[in-house]
Amino acid sequence: MQNRRFKKGLAVFWWLTLIFLYAPLLVVMMFSFNSINTSARWGGFSLRWYERLLHNDVVIGAIGHTLLLAVISSIIAVILGAMIGYGLYRHRARKLGLLIVLIYLPIVMPDIVFGISDMAFFVQINRLTGLLSPGLGTMVIAHVTFQIPFVALIVYSRFVGLDATLFDAAKDLYASPWQRMLHFILPTLKPALLSAFFLSFTLSVDDFVISFFTAGPESATLPIYIWGAIRRGISPEINAIATLMIASVALVAVLSLLFNRRRA
Amino acid sequence: MSQVDVVWRRRRRRETRHLLVSVLPGALWIFIFLVLPSAYLMSVAFMTNGGFGQPQMPLTLDAFRNLAGFGFLGWSPGNLYTLWRSIFQSVISLGLVVLVAYPVAWYISMCRPRLRAIMLLAVVVPSWTNQVIRAFGWMNLLSPGTPLSTLAEKMGLIAPNMGLFPSDFAVTLGLVYNFLPFMVLPLYAAFEKLDHAQIEAARDLYASPLRTFFVAVLPQTLPGLLAGSVLVAIPAFGMYVIPELLGGGRSQMLGNLVASQFGEAANWPLGAAGALLMLLATLLGLVILRRMGRRLGGGTEMVI
Repeated sequence: MQNRRFKKGLAVFWWLTLIFLYAPLLVVMMFSFNSINTSARWGGFSLRWYERLLHNDVVIGAIGHTLLLAVISSIIAVILGAMIGYGLYRHRARKLGLLIVLIYLPIVMPDIVFGISDMAFFVQINRLTGLLSPGLGTMVIAHVTFQIPFVALIVYSRFVGLDATLFDAAKDLYASPWQRMLHFILPTLKPALLSAFFLSFTLSVDDFVISFFTAGPESATLPIYIWGAIRRGISPEINAIATLMIASVALVAVLSLLFNRRRA
Repeated sequence: MSQVDVVWRRRRRRETRHLLVSVLPGALWIFIFLVLPSAYLMSVAFMTNGGFGQPQMPLTLDAFRNLAGFGFLGWSPGNLYTLWRSIFQSVISLGLVVLVAYPVAWYISMCRPRLRAIMLLAVVVPSWTNQVIRAFGWMNLLSPGTPLSTLAEKMGLIAPNMGLFPSDFAVTLGLVYNFLPFMVLPLYAAFEKLDHAQIEAARDLYASPLRTFFVAVLPQTLPGLLAGSVLVAIPAFGMYVIPELLGGGRSQMLGNLVASQFGEAANWPLGAAGALLMLLATLLGLVILRRMGRRLGGGTEMVI
């Protein structure tokens, strides 16, 4: 009896927490359709902020940078990360402690230390050699660095989930390592690679701090643009961009979940 | 040397080469673009400020003296206040996160298995959106004139027309919001493994509900609680975006201090010293996690 009342109380708390979790996002989405220029009052439905976005070249450019950065960095990270994941699995019997630390480093490093380290480093390299001037290139480098560990872990866990005798069977059936790669490893890995790609993509789009410190004057991504716009003063236009971002991240997240589900 | 030995050795060399070929590109990437840069940053913390932000020789401990408030105008408490605020904010928000996450994780573990996955997802999904946008959402909710601010005004909690943002309170709220999933996940992992026989036993012995909780429930969830605490408190300590957006100028935390030294304040060594402090805090957190993982077992795996 008391147990049931306790559970009911918890249920109420759960729903309140859900409201807490989604209220800020819903408010952003709601006011992106507000016809008046404030987040304090509702003035009726309108698409004027979205319309205005279409004519804002800076925003269009920022969307382009965001997508380009996410796609390029994810592709590089998936290749390098998958190789690490495979290596870790094949040689899991060895002592790889230092390598594991190295792989976990980008995950545990505080964002701001990560971003500023890279910024300071790139500035010095640039001063000495003229290479690595801040821009999309440096951002890709930084993003790949924090994406690699996630890819490696996904791929590794996919391998661990496989029956180890499959590898011997593949070895018996296909003579050359390349054929093994092409006909066995890549096909079995495909769902994991796709899911890793989507995760990397989301991480890239999601990132602000590291992007902010490694970006150049001409390579602002959407989060950086939003940051600047907020600092100049709140405008409903930001609501519209933010809504688009929330929607796209949700979409990619659902896709990645679907791939995961199919794999399981 | 026997034939077998030679074959074995050759094979082993081939395996090593395979390991290097597969692992080296990515490992080198992380080494060059993260280990080297952070090592460089750490070394900057021991250099002298060259006036325009460029670090110079000779090596000194000036940056750390600076961080403690000693400038060329004498001692001022500004930096120490910032440090104190970072610690205070991360401790307070940790406490609040525990208060919210504990019942939530408990409730999720009571629901049907199919439902649990969806509920966990519901907790995590908001954190997939960009943190700038999440902070912006709170700015929308808390700025002057919004229902929440008006309510707080009517209750006499804030001065008229001030709004709940920007303020220390808004920063705390933002931190709680940001880190809630980091606590719910490890706590849920602990609750999932809850041994109900212990609770039954406590009840059979006529322990009061409160006593049952402290004797039979809390100890079992301690690993998750501790893991979550590290995952919340350490990153909160170095938070940059939330204090910057929700706090306004007077709610700066260590992350903001560090960032400003590489920007407008132009004192790289001081910024690097702050970053070093943050890294030490992170290291401390990792050591605690490892220790706990060994002693209490589990609860730490579910982290993304």
